[in-house]
Amino acid sequence: MKKAIYLSVFMVGLLGLSLFSTSSYGGNTIKVGIVDTYSGPPATMSQDILDAFKLVVNEINAKGGVLGKKIEFVTRDEKFKPDIGLAMAKELVLKENVDLLMGTISSSTALAVSDFAKKEKIPFLVTNSRTEKITGEKGHRYVFGIAENTAMAGRAAAKALSQKPYLKYWIAGDDYEYGHSIAENVWNNLKKLKPGVQLVDQTWWKVGESDFTPYITQIMSAKPDFLIAATGGATMVTFAKAAKATGLVSRVPMYQHTVIDYGIMGPLGMDGPEGVYGTAPYLFYYPDTAANKAYVEAFRKAYGRYPQMFALFGYSAAKFIEKGFQKAGAVDKEKFINALEGMVIDSPVGNLEMRACDHQLQLPMIFGVTKKNPNFKDFLVASDIVMVPSKDFMPTCEEVLKTRK
Amino acid sequence: MDLFTAIFSPKLMSQILVGLSRTVILFIVASGLSLILGVLRIPNIWHGSLYMVGAFMTFTISGAFGGGSMGFWMALILAPISVALVSLIAERSFFQHLYEREHLMLLLLTFAFSLVFGDLVKMVWGLEYKSVPVPRVFQGSVHLFGGLPFPIYNVFLLAIGPVVAIALWIIVNKTKIGKISRAAAVDREMVGAVGINVSWVFAFVFMIGCLLAGLGGALVAPTVNVSLGMDHTLIMEAFLIVIIGGLGNVWGALVGALIFGLAQSLGILIWPQFGIVFPYAAVIIVLLLRPTGLLKSTW
Repeated sequence: MKKAIYLSVFMVGLLGLSLFSTSSYGGNTIKVGIVDTYSGPPATMSQDILDAFKLVVNEINAKGGVLGKKIEFVTRDEKFKPDIGLAMAKELVLKENVDLLMGTISSSTALAVSDFAKKEKIPFLVTNSRTEKITGEKGHRYVFGIAENTAMAGRAAAKALSQKPYLKYWIAGDDYEYGHSIAENVWNNLKKLKPGVQLVDQTWWKVGESDFTPYITQIMSAKPDFLIAATGGATMVTFAKAAKATGLVSRVPMYQHTVIDYGIMGPLGMDGPEGVYGTAPYLFYYPDTAANKAYVEAFRKAYGRYPQMFALFGYSAAKFIEKGFQKAGAVDKEKFINALEGMVIDSPVGNLEMRACDHQLQLPMIFGVTKKNPNFKDFLVASDIVMVPSKDFMPTCEEVLKTRK
Repeated sequence: MDLFTAIFSPKLMSQILVGLSRTVILFIVASGLSLILGVLRIPNIWHGSLYMVGAFMTFTISGAFGGGSMGFWMALILAPISVALVSLIAERSFFQHLYEREHLMLLLLTFAFSLVFGDLVKMVWGLEYKSVPVPRVFQGSVHLFGGLPFPIYNVFLLAIGPVVAIALWIIVNKTKIGKISRAAAVDREMVGAVGINVSWVFAFVFMIGCLLAGLGGALVAPTVNVSLGMDHTLIMEAFLIVIIGGLGNVWGALVGALIFGLAQSLGILIWPQFGIVFPYAAVIIVLLLRPTGLLKSTW
């Protein structure tokens, strides 16, 4: 008897809950569901994207929204777990009735959610994952790549490195998909551009490794001309510290994607290593244009810090949502997708085009080397900057579409 | 002669030294974990969080003292102490009520604490990566064995290791409270029966164990990226070390840390692509040969 009472109370509660959660379905807003990692080491990047996204959304809403509707968003912390991430995406679509999905830093989650988005015919803007599979072999009508992917970063870096005199390379990195993918993309393209290069050896360490000295002594004693360090996230800072303490940076020049970003150089302060080559699609101090300065000023006013490169993705996603629905003329998912194909938005790095053939945002890549600069008293910045335009490194539409077969 | 040069090759020697300096951090953290496991019978998953808090405290304290060498030394003293105080409060208000329960309950409690502290650290210190500068005296490298670099900070770690080990040996073996705690580890009812307040002995041991976690965090801070999630990797390694060393045996933690640290650095030398595998392979081999760990377990 008692059990029955509990059970009925539970059922009534559940009913109430479901009523409550569907009550938010109104149609007077455009609702964005964001699934990303907001705990653990990757959180700093996800938060940067979210902050940038919020800033633009607030601006849009202050002007009255899009098509007279405010943009509303809900976030879910998937804790870097693909199964949880997918469940959250489902919940957002089925219960919260979001109009589109956005996220996720975990490539596995991004691919799982992308698959779900395809089935449910929900647009999914990938603002954080770096895997080239998103708009490559696993690409489809409903998914859009906003962040740069490993193919783009690797090819841009290979292009820049092929101009340098180095021949004997060593590859080292985080033993997960991102690390291997960056390294492979740099290496395969470098070999194509400069057939004389040779690979001395490679080293892979586990994600979250905290002591690189044993790996570094190994690399140094082999005396390669150049090191491709395929590290990501929190490892970037630790590796940079170890590279400086052991004197690796002064003996073996090296490349790390995103090392020039403020998110990495900021924490290291003036102790950051000088002379490390890196790439990033955006830096808060480059390009040195009025548009970028104004953007950074607004961002600092809102959050009291400089934006990292990831801010560009949050910014772009919000702009695409605004412009996309405006052009579509209605909150219609299919029309929104049609509108986005080939759409150009303005951004702190200039005009950015969403390529129609593969739904990958055409980002430029900034190639530079870390150096002290009298204009920045607290951290190192990139110098000798070369801006590689996207047409110089983006895989062609044919190349991408071939992988989907 | 060939064998001699092979064994004493500069590469091997420097790799061993590097492995040893890594061992120091692992030993300091794992010995605290083992101490708590041996005396209080708590499988303390929260230990990793305290290590993380120790590193974050080091960041804050060294920053508060100007970020220079002075800041580092102050942090090295104050960060572990503040971690110990936090642990004392937790022990007095939560853990002490659960000693009579099953291990599973204690395990759950420490797990809950680790989740809560994961979020607390996020709230207090934020999401950005943090870096503690290496104090000026320890910056750069010395060149040993054929010019291979060895960071001076690692030399400092090598010196700290024995100091901590000896201090721990004195506390456990030479002080009254150490003797009582060893007795309590064997039979806590008996110790209580002879009129000793076991509760406070446990609180003290818990605090010392957690102090070691904080010290590990403070020592590691200048060499790594102080960030969320640094607790996860470490707690797993620390538990493996404690298990291969013998549950609850502080010297087992030393042996375990040596095996783990050296297997890793030598593994990288032998087969760089698969360097990660070696310490775990060593753990498997030890457990196959001695399932209860290398030294005598107190369990």
